[in-house]
Amino acid sequence: MQAQLFQSAPINTSLRLDPRTKLLMMFILSVIMINGDIRGKAVYIRLVLAVIPFILLLFSGRIKASLFYAALYAAVWFAEAFLVYTTSGAANILIVMLAGMVGRFIPCAVMGYYLMTTTRVSEFVAAMEQIHMPRAIIIPLSVMFRFFPTIAEESRAINDAMRMRGIGINSLSKNPVALFEYRLIPLLMSIVKIGGELSAAALTRGLGGPVKRTNICKIGFGVWDFCMAAVMIAALAAYVLIQRGTL
Amino acid sequence: MITLSNVSFSYEQGEQEGCLRDVSLTIQAGEVILLCGESGCGKTTLTRLINGLIPHYYEDGKEISQLPLYETAKLVGSVFQNPRSQFFNVDTTSELAFGAENLGYPVTEIEQRVAQTISEFQIEPLMERNIFRLSGGEKQKIACASVAVCTPPVFVLDEPTSNLDAAAIDEIRRLIGIWKSQGKTVVVAEHRLHFLRDLADRAVYMRQGRIERIFSVQELKALSQPQLEQMGLRPLWLENLTINRDPVHGTGGSLDLPRLFFSHDHRETPTLDVKDLNVPAGAVIAVIGHNGAGKSTFARCLCGLEKRAKGALQFHASVMNAKQRLKNCYMVMQDVNHQLFTESVLDEVLLSMAEKDETKAEKILESLDLSHLKTLHPMSLSGGQKQRVAIAAAIASEREIIILDEPTSGLDLRHMREVAQNLRRLAKMGKTLFVITHDPELILSCCTHLIQFENGKVVLNEALDARGAEKMLHYFLDAGKKRAEYTEETI
Repeated sequence: MQAQLFQSAPINTSLRLDPRTKLLMMFILSVIMINGDIRGKAVYIRLVLAVIPFILLLFSGRIKASLFYAALYAAVWFAEAFLVYTTSGAANILIVMLAGMVGRFIPCAVMGYYLMTTTRVSEFVAAMEQIHMPRAIIIPLSVMFRFFPTIAEESRAINDAMRMRGIGINSLSKNPVALFEYRLIPLLMSIVKIGGELSAAALTRGLGGPVKRTNICKIGFGVWDFCMAAVMIAALAAYVLIQRGTL
Repeated sequence: MITLSNVSFSYEQGEQEGCLRDVSLTIQAGEVILLCGESGCGKTTLTRLINGLIPHYYEDGKEISQLPLYETAKLVGSVFQNPRSQFFNVDTTSELAFGAENLGYPVTEIEQRVAQTISEFQIEPLMERNIFRLSGGEKQKIACASVAVCTPPVFVLDEPTSNLDAAAIDEIRRLIGIWKSQGKTVVVAEHRLHFLRDLADRAVYMRQGRIERIFSVQELKALSQPQLEQMGLRPLWLENLTINRDPVHGTGGSLDLPRLFFSHDHRETPTLDVKDLNVPAGAVIAVIGHNGAGKSTFARCLCGLEKRAKGALQFHASVMNAKQRLKNCYMVMQDVNHQLFTESVLDEVLLSMAEKDETKAEKILESLDLSHLKTLHPMSLSGGQKQRVAIAAAIASEREIIILDEPTSGLDLRHMREVAQNLRRLAKMGKTLFVITHDPELILSCCTHLIQFENGKVVLNEALDARGAEKMLHYFLDAGKKRAEYTEETI
């Protein structure tokens, strides 16, 4: 029933990473995956990187999700390696497009999912403070994360109300704009209201004072952080070298 | 000591509601003060004055307080009405530390304070949890605990129990008791007076922005029920309540649920397991039970929102599955903002009609005193008016079964009576109503039948006559005590 975004409970995983490492991984993975060629040596780097989100998901106990991802990526890989060369015409275009899109974005999306579901907001804030991100960025970001589950909650309630009143697919054909409006207006209204109350509550609890905020959240680098960072940086270096034609 | 001398305040839009007119009040350190009075009398404004939100957040007044808000934060801890919108983190442990972190206390000290608060408030089972998955009562406990971590000398609570059940109210009473025993100053603005009658030192009765009278606790307790009613206050003793409605004339017929079953994924015990429930058609049925006992799930399953619920409803010789129930039942939600979609009150009613009939829609609005508002945007109305619009839409949809989810949470006596009157109107039209509520006064002023849930099952199903009323009150009086004992055992 509940949105899983941003974890609360301690994450039972043998492979615990610092949020900074996760961010670095997210960055490099996205750069290489989205840019990546489907031909040449760079293909191997992409293959290695695509395996990483799978491993992370597996170790954080999201076995179903990891298997689903593995199957999906294997299918894309198969399509890119074989189907693209053996089909022609519209089918070929479709396969190239689909495989290209899915192959480029799914690993990044899965990495993002991993980042979101295994990091607490306070861990994230602590990490941001460590890398000296200005507060003007950290506070809005952390509020945003706090709001995802709220939006999900409100939107579910509105969805129920619409179903009950019989506003749905049937009225979509008659007036698609109205359907959009019905969904959005109450959502915006309640989010604005919650936002106002939330900021009042935060102010009464001393947010925004001139003192340096402390954070009880303990973050730090471990063996896995170094391993993962090493793999990622090596991959990035290799990728750059390949692109420049020196490898 | 808190001193307010000759304070006047008004909100920017020139609203009359919530203004303060020449208020002077001195609160001694260690006092527990109850602020009471009708909605809009200025209770909330007074609490905002004390916790510093006025003039900082709700900007208008002149320099009432020179102190910046983050300084006030060290002196005053605030708990608000809505449990959903006062936590800043997703997990409970970070939330407890949040205030102390903002004030820049060293990490070891924060950990100590958090640990101490956890043991004082006995909230170990709530730690390391996702706040979004806690019940309203649990959220409110976390809110109290997280302001307590900063150990401010003053606590301000603005209608903390509006959304809570009897057991959770009792928990809030316990927490305020802890603060009182620690010598803290506590200011509580509340409509529900009964849980505070043995805690408060003085009660400040406000009316239209002025302090009308200050009662000592003895004077407060000496007030008779008619006197309280005249002041627009809720009862001090639930024990004394009696049935306050016309006798019932049944419409005949009944509504049968041979089985209604629903289970969330991955759970062994079903969330809802109703067997052979049989209630009179045309009745106003109060649905009571603890938070988490299955009332809301029952409502969702009954009106067909849970597709996976198993079971059918037999009503007027028709058997309805979930899909048909969705077309025949209407739920007035606790947060009515979720179900108002259009740009005017009239459109809202028309939206519910299969065949748009403006004269009929106007008639419905007329019957609910909404005619003069028909061109206004529903979102611009007051809470009570919004609820009436939702009820109007329910009537327009011509559905026979209407479910109301806590229609009187956070309402004062006058507004509660308005709701009760609306419910009686619906009953007169022959609708069958299910009213999920934690409000014994509302039940006594309009309900004719009672069902009680426990662990997803119906444990009580009977007519709300004198005997039924006694059982109902017994439940509300006992609910707090029993639950409190239970939690102590589990800890």
